[in-house]
Amino acid sequence: MVDQRTIRMQVLRYHPQRDERPAWQSYTVPFTDDTSILQALLYIKDEIDGTLSFRWSCRMAICGSCGMMINGKPRLACETFLRDLAADAVRIEALAHFPIERDLIVSVGEFVAKLESIKPYLIPKEPRALAAGEYLQTPAQLARYEQFSTCINCMLCYAACPEYGLNTDFTGPGVLALLHRYNADSRDGGRAERMPIVNAEEGVWSCMAVGYCSEVCPKQVDPAHAVNQNKAISAGDYFLHFLKPKHRPP
Amino acid sequence: MSDAAGARRPYVRSMRGWWRRDPFFARYMLREATSVAVLAYALVLTVGLVRLAQGEAAWNGWLAALRSPWAVLLHLLLFAAMVFHALSWFEIMPKTLPAIFIGGRRLSAATITRSGWAATVLASIALCALAWWWRS
Amino acid sequence: MDIFTFDIAIVGAGGAGLRAAIAVAESDPSLTVALISKVYPMRSHTVAAEGGAAAVTQAHDSLEAHFHDTVAGGEWLCEQDVVEYFVEHAHEELVQLEHWGCPWSRTLDGRANVRAFGGMRTERTWFAADRTGFHMLHTLFQTSTSYRSIQRFDEYFCVDLIVDAGRVQGVVTIEIATGEMRLIQAKAVIVATGGAGRVFSENTNGGIVTGDGMALAYRHGAPLRDMEFVQYHPTCMPGTGLLFTEACRGEGGFLLNSAGYRYLQDYGLGPPSPTPRNMAMELGPRDRLSQAYWHEKQRGRTISGPHGEVVHLDLRHLGERKLRERLPQICELALRYLGIDPGRQPIPVLPAVHYTMGGIMADEKTASPLPGLYSVGECSSIGIHGANRLGSNSLTELLVFGKVAGIEAARYAKAMSHGDAATVGALAEATEAGALAILMRPRGDERIATLRREMTRTMEDGCGIYRTAATLQSSCDRLAQLKQRYQRVGLDDHSRAWNTEWLLAIELGYLLDVAQAMAHSALARRESRGSHQRLDGFEQRDDASFLKHSLAFYRADQAPHIGYGPVKITHSQPGTRVYGAAAAQA
Repeated sequence: MVDQRTIRMQVLRYHPQRDERPAWQSYTVPFTDDTSILQALLYIKDEIDGTLSFRWSCRMAICGSCGMMINGKPRLACETFLRDLAADAVRIEALAHFPIERDLIVSVGEFVAKLESIKPYLIPKEPRALAAGEYLQTPAQLARYEQFSTCINCMLCYAACPEYGLNTDFTGPGVLALLHRYNADSRDGGRAERMPIVNAEEGVWSCMAVGYCSEVCPKQVDPAHAVNQNKAISAGDYFLHFLKPKHRPP
Repeated sequence: MSDAAGARRPYVRSMRGWWRRDPFFARYMLREATSVAVLAYALVLTVGLVRLAQGEAAWNGWLAALRSPWAVLLHLLLFAAMVFHALSWFEIMPKTLPAIFIGGRRLSAATITRSGWAATVLASIALCALAWWWRS
Repeated sequence: MDIFTFDIAIVGAGGAGLRAAIAVAESDPSLTVALISKVYPMRSHTVAAEGGAAAVTQAHDSLEAHFHDTVAGGEWLCEQDVVEYFVEHAHEELVQLEHWGCPWSRTLDGRANVRAFGGMRTERTWFAADRTGFHMLHTLFQTSTSYRSIQRFDEYFCVDLIVDAGRVQGVVTIEIATGEMRLIQAKAVIVATGGAGRVFSENTNGGIVTGDGMALAYRHGAPLRDMEFVQYHPTCMPGTGLLFTEACRGEGGFLLNSAGYRYLQDYGLGPPSPTPRNMAMELGPRDRLSQAYWHEKQRGRTISGPHGEVVHLDLRHLGERKLRERLPQICELALRYLGIDPGRQPIPVLPAVHYTMGGIMADEKTASPLPGLYSVGECSSIGIHGANRLGSNSLTELLVFGKVAGIEAARYAKAMSHGDAATVGALAEATEAGALAILMRPRGDERIATLRREMTRTMEDGCGIYRTAATLQSSCDRLAQLKQRYQRVGLDDHSRAWNTEWLLAIELGYLLDVAQAMAHSALARRESRGSHQRLDGFEQRDDASFLKHSLAFYRADQAPHIGYGPVKITHSQPGTRVYGAAAAQA
């Protein structure tokens, strides 16, 4: 029989209809070498306490549902393993910098609204009939934006970003990375329409190059790169307005 | 009994003491704090410039002041801060540049950072050599 | 109960639901669309699909070839006219998605690249690295945000369809954040809720794949078709069941047994060659590969691991560059979850449930027998996959038939007016009472997890890769008991806001109904065909008696009634499926 090691999991609980403020609750959970935090949470919900609420789905770090603070770091629960966490106790809390709806569930609506606001779709540089087939795009052109297209919207980067924590108007790393993904796509001609968001105070200029967002990103999207290279672009855009009045976006 | 379905009541957590929650943030704050060191050293040099304009006696007085043990200690601390400032800036520099492709391969962030260090070291050596050659 | 009124309601915002919503918006922007999903759209399980989407692309390929591969792959249980439409419209849909920004992987001269895939005689699978579903879903979701007429209901859980005056009138939902119930009244409803793989214990599916829409349509009289056909994907992670894409094999990976031997050659799929050959060896169809594993296990030629008997997926010879460019996500999965670098070690794999070929019966316009109800995607059975699905056909299906569903629902909705608000409201109140009754069940003798575990265990044991009358009957009996016990399931959480235990309880009800449809359909099909294989005297295919679709009809508090429907054959007469050496000569 496999050894039955157990670990103490401390989870920050909060119920909007019952609690004034969040409070810690402790559970003892058995685990083996490949138990993930998500599996441990599912064990708690299934066997010990069905009232623990959290989001999850794919279990393979692609749906972006299970972001939370694990021992103080923003991580995906499904690919964080108990074997890798030092200490005999694990502290789990809802993703930082977001309001807690309940237990490990945070408000996501504002993030999604920001995502929708950047025109996150291809605005073709030139029209092309379906019958003419696909736009041509070389592997080199694809490489210019592909990395930024792999964002799973898990929001760990927002939990890592102190600027966002201090000012939730900041558009933020993930959404700005997606904006850059479209601007850098050779098929896209919508840059001028998206620049107001880049140029705004809440756009790239709220970023202080802390860089933690890129550290925690589970997909190596490197949002810090997307945001910070746009500072030069934004500055250029600003000066061009003076030089070429026609450059002003519609 | 079940509750009546209610309005949401999201709980907003405080950001107080945020930079102490993670070593990454502490390091970031230290990085930002080195700008104070940069400012301090700029002031020292400005004072030196003023003294230079005031004549040889003032200039020598300033140089003498710089040789005091406290001044030396201050300069060592400022130097350490400047080095950390430079290193942390080069760490973040690749993020501020667009992706650079040379011969089809992308220049890695590590390469860009190391180029920054290399340029700094070379420039420092060149300046020190110049200063040594010009001493008198 | 609050009532929201729309022209069309779409339940499920994965690839199919999003494509349908866009199709409605494009066909007539004045129609209002409610796009309802129990999770945010980017969490839908389309996101986990990896390998690719098929369409005839290369000059030497043909619609006939794709048609024949698909029909043979489905062992002639396909609706051939639907397959004809499918292969004809596949390419334009993939191009449309590319026009919407999908980052398809490219050839050097900038065209969309295609790769080999199981059961396809030539390369026709478009792919976006090994994250095709992810890129398709995000492209569709992001594109959908540009259409004003689509209003999303994110994190609204659908608990029932409202049916009155012989047609669908809307859906009843729980707003998950508050636990408030809301009626969304609509003239047409498109169900795009995905499959039901969570009925089995080892599966590639996310937690949300619980057959919701299937169960709801089923309970309202729409038959579930061909439910016994459940696809085991041959290369999944032991323990979690997570998917290692077929593309691993398309790019040249080998499957080895405990002796390091490419055992597939012993099962009519050889002879082996050092580089992949379409329709042979590791590029055989999924049902054959899963069955080969089962036989190797019986022969004691598999490798024992902590999570069961495995075989080895060997990618070492592919080289770093190909692994990094074509299979980056696979490498990440193997490394993070198993600590294995596929460039240096083989990956332990075993078959796990991946796809539900069966579903809500849908005609070639995606319409169900219930007027106003359409279904599309994995939750539907429109007749493309038959007894076994070829990899990369289902992602294309979402697009081709997502569009059809949207257009048809739009056409229907324009011709109808809303039902009587009072009647519809009353039906909704009754649904609410039922849902609240589940919510109020006290912490009792039955836990949700216990029943769920027993259900998945019995499905795995009785309704797996190989079946017998005894094991199937045992599963059917067990499921009947579990449904009884489900009446006494208790909850810990009786609150309303974000009560996910309540949702799990409702989902368990859906799973049990769908499982019953699967097990009873399997018991009744006394032949072997595609992914339904028996070992009890019915090892052969029996076209004379069973070249027909199973139809499971819901009966409350009883086992389902299993009926049959005809298979539409146009020009591919049932023959033998030909793989391995024989395929090269065909």
